[in-house]
Amino acid sequence: MNTFPLLSAIVFLPLLGALFILLLPGNSDMCRRTGLAVTLGDLALVVVLLFSIPGNPSGEWLRVEDHAWIPSLGIRYTLSLDGLSLILLLLTSFIGVISVLVSREQIREKQRSYYFFLLVTLTGILGIFLATDLFLFYFFWEIQIIPMFFLVGIWGHEDRLRTCIKFIIFTMAGSLFMLIALIGLYAVHGGETGTYTFALSSLMRTSLSPSAQGWLYTAFMLAFVIKIPMVPFHTWLPDTHTQAPTAGSVILAGLLLKTGVYGVFRFAIPLFPLAFKASVPILMILGLIGLFYASWIALSQTDIKRLIAYSSVGHMGLLVLGLAAFDAVSLSGSLLQVINHGISTSALFIMAGMLNERIDSRAFRDFGGLWKQMPVFGAFFLFFSMASLGLPGLNNFVGEILILIGTYRVDPVFAVIGFAGLLFGVIYVLRMVQDALFGELKGDTALLYDVKPGEVLVLGVLALGVLFMGLHPQPVLHMFEGPVKLLMESVP
Amino acid sequence: MENKWIVILPEIIMTLGGLVIFSIGAFGRQRKGTSLFFLTLIFLAGAILSLFLIPSSDSFLSGMLKNDGYSRVFTILIAAIAFVCVLFSSQYARDRGFENDAYYGILLFAALGMVLAAGAVNWLIFFLGLELFSISLYILIAIRRDDPFDGEAGIKYLVTGAVAGAFLVFGIALWYAGTGSLSIFIRPAQDAGAMDIPLMMASITLILIGIGFKISMVPFHLWTPDVYQGSPAPVTAFLATGSKVAVFAFFIRFCMDMQPPLWEVFKPVLWLMAFLTLVVGTVTALSQFTIKRLLAYSSVAQMGFLIMTLLAVKIAGGPFAIAFYLLVYAAMDLGAFGIIASFSEKKEDRDHLEAYEGLGYSYPWRSAVLTLCLLSLAGLPPTAGFVGKVLIFKSVLQAGEVSIAVTAIVMSILSIYLYMKVVAALYMKPETSTGVAAAGIFEKTAAGLIFIFILWAGIAPSPLLRLIGRLIPAGG
Repeated sequence: MNTFPLLSAIVFLPLLGALFILLLPGNSDMCRRTGLAVTLGDLALVVVLLFSIPGNPSGEWLRVEDHAWIPSLGIRYTLSLDGLSLILLLLTSFIGVISVLVSREQIREKQRSYYFFLLVTLTGILGIFLATDLFLFYFFWEIQIIPMFFLVGIWGHEDRLRTCIKFIIFTMAGSLFMLIALIGLYAVHGGETGTYTFALSSLMRTSLSPSAQGWLYTAFMLAFVIKIPMVPFHTWLPDTHTQAPTAGSVILAGLLLKTGVYGVFRFAIPLFPLAFKASVPILMILGLIGLFYASWIALSQTDIKRLIAYSSVGHMGLLVLGLAAFDAVSLSGSLLQVINHGISTSALFIMAGMLNERIDSRAFRDFGGLWKQMPVFGAFFLFFSMASLGLPGLNNFVGEILILIGTYRVDPVFAVIGFAGLLFGVIYVLRMVQDALFGELKGDTALLYDVKPGEVLVLGVLALGVLFMGLHPQPVLHMFEGPVKLLMESVP
Repeated sequence: MENKWIVILPEIIMTLGGLVIFSIGAFGRQRKGTSLFFLTLIFLAGAILSLFLIPSSDSFLSGMLKNDGYSRVFTILIAAIAFVCVLFSSQYARDRGFENDAYYGILLFAALGMVLAAGAVNWLIFFLGLELFSISLYILIAIRRDDPFDGEAGIKYLVTGAVAGAFLVFGIALWYAGTGSLSIFIRPAQDAGAMDIPLMMASITLILIGIGFKISMVPFHLWTPDVYQGSPAPVTAFLATGSKVAVFAFFIRFCMDMQPPLWEVFKPVLWLMAFLTLVVGTVTALSQFTIKRLLAYSSVAQMGFLIMTLLAVKIAGGPFAIAFYLLVYAAMDLGAFGIIASFSEKKEDRDHLEAYEGLGYSYPWRSAVLTLCLLSLAGLPPTAGFVGKVLIFKSVLQAGEVSIAVTAIVMSILSIYLYMKVVAALYMKPETSTGVAAAGIFEKTAAGLIFIFILWAGIAPSPLLRLIGRLIPAGG
């Protein structure tokens, strides 16, 4: 057992970097460089962690760090790593680097506070993916919200003020219900056993009456489905995405939404297995409704970021379907989709951001004919769009097909409807590609310079990620095997 | 018998301090100056330190005043509140010409009254303490004699305070009629069968109205926004924290010792009051656009949280949760009003939300303290307010009061909007900087202390919890 607290180092390195940035002069490039160095350092730490994991892990957790935090309340500082957490850490630190890179052109004002908030958000998200003490989890869960509020509210687009308030109220509404459920569970468990603890492994063994389990599960799920977001709790997402700066959108799509899925997987299902069983039909139906509804709405969007945001909601609908089907294959598919969606949707948001930087518009009516003017940009855009609609060989295809195969084994009807929903997705993606890339050139063509080397680097790395996940997802799927198996065993 | 009086050493030091400052004003050469400021700080610090010298004894003055661990917590807290208020007052009072013997002397007497009220287990002492700090506050609120709003606020507080006092006295009279004693404890001999429940309920209702005025319990809260708005900001800080902490400290003890037949009747009343205070405080706060009124209604809502926790006062750890939250509440409100004082222009306090727009960039440190206080009031981690709320909900849920806890959570969600509205004004509007004076060293100290305290109690509350737990049992 290595004594170096690697997990804590990964979680708190961005925070330390953030505090360091506060010492730098107000609006200097030093802040960005420090941010980049810190996120790269964090990525390096995660890679070190990846190679320190034994080939054939045994036991539930690959690595645990456990210390007393607030003993009088039975609160512990417990970070536990399994295959799922590991992959999500990799995604988070990777997206962290990307989000610093894409901020270079866009963020010219108040750089110090910008990178401060960006890094604090990363610490919150990394913490969420590792915490297995429910209090600690909640602590991180809320800590990521506040800097995100500032990122949207200060560096966002024209309607940022209303949007950031909407964002924080939606997300807090969910999480405060989770807080009270959490404390309720803690009180019940303490009353039953005499030991008050927030540890996930202990709370899982609490015996609850069916109705209590139902209520607590509902409160937890409310927090998670708002984050995912599942229709009908999705309305904050398109607004926030549209108004957020590019890096904000990237973090939202790539990471924040994933915390919701992770929460369902790690906490809601294992803590309340019976209530989850009972809610499966509702979740599957809402997932499918989300897929269709969001795709339909996406079709009529005139703002490219809104369209991508609705496509996110649609993808998440399918993901919820895979979670709810609760088959080993569909669960792996859903988890894989967490990663895939994180990569390809981030890429699309980055490209929308690039367009916005060039012609200061997000409306389709100002685009068109970009292929002629910006061929490299066009190629990347087409590539990521194809990934998004699930072209075989690219990443989303693998996840979606696994979800649908798994669902088919459980309930063929839902799977068939899901397939149809995917077709719906093809329509709006093609429409987006057509409106943006082809047709007549509009507006001032002088502004439309092609991608610069730095931008090619970002997009190239993401494209490699898409290809890797599309062609060789086995290493990642292997990581999910253990957690999925344990989860399936925890539900009777 | 020797040294019997040593038990009330903190009270003696405060009285002495007040008298010394008055004497300097009456006989000294100058009535103003920083020497009075330092003297006040020294007396308050002395009152806190003296607590560590005196032995713990159960009661004093034939059981009229308690000096247990519980009283000690609140004596320290109230003296600390006064201390921070004095720090925030230093520059504010000097700039506005009321840094004189009257201000500091009366402030010490107000703190004395609060300490007496918090430690009282006898209605007479409680009433004495209550009136002492109320009368002192009437004067403090109207300390700027040439400012019409101060005068108005003072009169409003005086009139409502007098009415509250009348209710309280009548309630006490009925209590005496019912129990034959002025002790707040009912002797076991008089339990159940012997007690005249309707008479006692009438007494408790009247007492509740009297106390309700002081802690801004709905529907007796209507004076709160006007008085908060009209008072000089450092006095608002003292009023919002000190007087509420003192009355609540007494209120907890009162509820803790109430016996089953009465408690069973009283509990639903308390539930209703908690519900009303939470809902009305939060919902009314939403539509406010001046920061003092907003914070006034928010403090009403915060009182709702505390009244709710009184329902759990019989649970081990319930009183502990209230005491901890009172401490946290005091820090947050002191910080918020202290920063308002520091941001204010000489002619009137900075009140309208628009006047706060963009200050986050011109005055980053003070804005950061204000933001942290607001986040803490909203109950977000990593602040003390979050830990406080967790303790509160733990006790309330342990007591099985699920419905009121859910109400409180819904109100918390709504309150996010109102606190974030202020934060948004600070940071998400174009930069402005009009008429903000540079912060003095004492304001900086006070703001820094509060900033560190809120973060410390939010991230590593263990030492603090242990410390309070040694004086008030923390329960399971």
